[in-house]
Amino acid sequence: MSIYTYNGAAIIAMAGKDCVAIGSDLRFGVQLQTMTTDYKKVFQIHDRLFVGLGGLATDAQTLFERLVFRHNMYKLREERDMKASTFGNLLSSMLYEKRFGPYFASPVVAGLEPDGKPFLCGMDSIGALETAADFIVTGTNSESLFGMCESMWRPDLEADELFETLAQCLLSGIDRDALAGWGAVVYVIDKNKGVIARTLKGRMD
Amino acid sequence: MARIVAGSQITDAEYMRDISLGTTIIAVTFDGGVVLGADSRTSSGTYIANRVQDKITPLLDNVYLCRSGSASDTQAIASYVQYYLAQHQAELGGPVRVETAAKLAMQMAYGNKNMLQAGLIIAGHDSSGGSVWAIPLGGTLLKVPYAIGGSGSAYITGWCDKNWRAGFTREQAREFVRAALRHAMARDSSSGGCVRTVVIDSNGADREFIPNTKLPPTYGELAAPA
Amino acid sequence: MGSNGGGFDFDLCKRNALLERKGMAPPKAWKTGTTIAGVVYKDGVVLGADTRSTSGSTVADKNCEKIHYIAPNIYCCGAGTAADTMNVTAMISSSLDLHRYATGRQSRVVTAMTMLKYQGHVSAALVLGGVDLNGPHLFTIFPHGSTDALPYATMGSGSLNAMAVFEAGFKEDMTKEEAMALVAAAIRSGVYNDLGSGSNVDLCIISKEGVEYLRNHEFLMAKTYTRKFPVTYAKGTAPVIKEKLIPLSAVDVTEGAEEAMDTS
Repeated sequence: MSIYTYNGAAIIAMAGKDCVAIGSDLRFGVQLQTMTTDYKKVFQIHDRLFVGLGGLATDAQTLFERLVFRHNMYKLREERDMKASTFGNLLSSMLYEKRFGPYFASPVVAGLEPDGKPFLCGMDSIGALETAADFIVTGTNSESLFGMCESMWRPDLEADELFETLAQCLLSGIDRDALAGWGAVVYVIDKNKGVIARTLKGRMD
Repeated sequence: MARIVAGSQITDAEYMRDISLGTTIIAVTFDGGVVLGADSRTSSGTYIANRVQDKITPLLDNVYLCRSGSASDTQAIASYVQYYLAQHQAELGGPVRVETAAKLAMQMAYGNKNMLQAGLIIAGHDSSGGSVWAIPLGGTLLKVPYAIGGSGSAYITGWCDKNWRAGFTREQAREFVRAALRHAMARDSSSGGCVRTVVIDSNGADREFIPNTKLPPTYGELAAPA
Repeated sequence: MGSNGGGFDFDLCKRNALLERKGMAPPKAWKTGTTIAGVVYKDGVVLGADTRSTSGSTVADKNCEKIHYIAPNIYCCGAGTAADTMNVTAMISSSLDLHRYATGRQSRVVTAMTMLKYQGHVSAALVLGGVDLNGPHLFTIFPHGSTDALPYATMGSGSLNAMAVFEAGFKEDMTKEEAMALVAAAIRSGVYNDLGSGSNVDLCIISKEGVEYLRNHEFLMAKTYTRKFPVTYAKGTAPVIKEKLIPLSAVDVTEGAEEAMDTS
């Protein structure tokens, strides 16, 4: 068994037209035992930036706390929010710092750049950065998620369409993952409106 | 997070496999100097990573080193020895003895023997004439009239013992080195490619490169097409 | 809890080793099961790379960049663990930047080569190319730290395919066009015949005149299928239980009032 399958996760981030969306499942389990079904794996960093952390939950939590700390320090110094791309690079170097003793977390960053363009990136546990114009997935059954996204994603999705597409990809992908599921949450970051958070009803098995 | 999938068959071991100088190296003294020789094959498993490798590395103007074993280990040893010898030469203000270079290389090889995979032959010319020093795997230092090393040397020990003569002339020594390498490369699959030689005497070092097509065929081989 | 001082942090090594002893397999890092190659031609160096990054047998990135910037006159193709090739090249590039700033001289390719040797600690297999005052240079650097200087070189899981093309087609003193065609053919043979390599061909041509970075010089792997009528989900398809709008926090950005410089 791998340390990555200890808790279970499914996370998708997708880019649309002047908007991005990111979603995760809600299960938190310890191996095959489900502990809670309201555990979100995506976190808000600021108005236009989210980070999703898959992998070992304890490391994801620690990493998130360090990210908040670093972002707060940045805000104090710079008096502004961090750009999504900057945040991606910060996270990558924080992970590579632990190259020889890594956090068992695989992050996804989704946000809007200051000009309103979507920014998506993903990385492995030691910070190999990968930016994408379409979608990024991570989780205990990323193959399923990849497959759904490859066939469902289209360029220039509007905010509402983007939400529906991501929701379908996430819910269907989760159906083939024993370690993830029990509902999902999706955040859509819209350039003008702000963030719309939606909780989805999913299979409870 | 698919990296949990066990056994990524595509790359894994490929990169971490050590690059090795499965080699034939040789050095011979003659009246007034030394001849060093080596094949040019570097392999990574069954793949030839470099077919024109230069395994004869200069340590000083008058001292050269033949490398066998791990390519990275021997390159690292060579660059350390080069560095210390250059410093020593500057302090001394004159030519460095071959023995000094050999002892320094031995200290590197012996002091880190647990971490290294290196078989070295050091040869050069100084005020007391030509000399050859062998440093096999454990880090022993041996002064010898001639030395062979690397995986290919096993195939030519008998031949070398039979054909080596004390008091070779320069030309005889060169021919001995060339023929020895030819035979080793024919039989050892980890040795091959071209032949490189260096002759060192009181006039300095003289390099020679013999391409594979210019090597005479051995028993059972076809001559290279013209 | 980490530092801003740079360098590696070994805090979690003990814990991770313990987990591993308990039978928890450590995660697989992203690899670039790669074809990278380079040749020296008449006026410079041509570097080439495919654009697939893999994790296990899953394609992690279909169009990644494997030719990394080192200096204005030096570039480096990376194969092996993706994070290592990216960070190692970035670290060396920044050191060389400072070195140029201190010396006022163009960086040399051998300097970059010496710095990139990591003696087996990071798994990066590199093809380093560039042009400096001594002319064009091409090096390969293996993960264990051994280096080779060669007129044509390949690395990665597709190196055998690419080398076959080079051995058949290499000539000395090629023109730029000949060299570009040869490198592209070598990378293509990796893309088509090696499972670890795929997608597109990137090229980078370095000469005394400057650098041409041709991202997706050959775009081989466009999607071969598109739906005439893409699947669209009507609004309200997904079973939403709860919806909440988090409005953009109304922060008015006011430009700071003019503040006169204190000259008292």
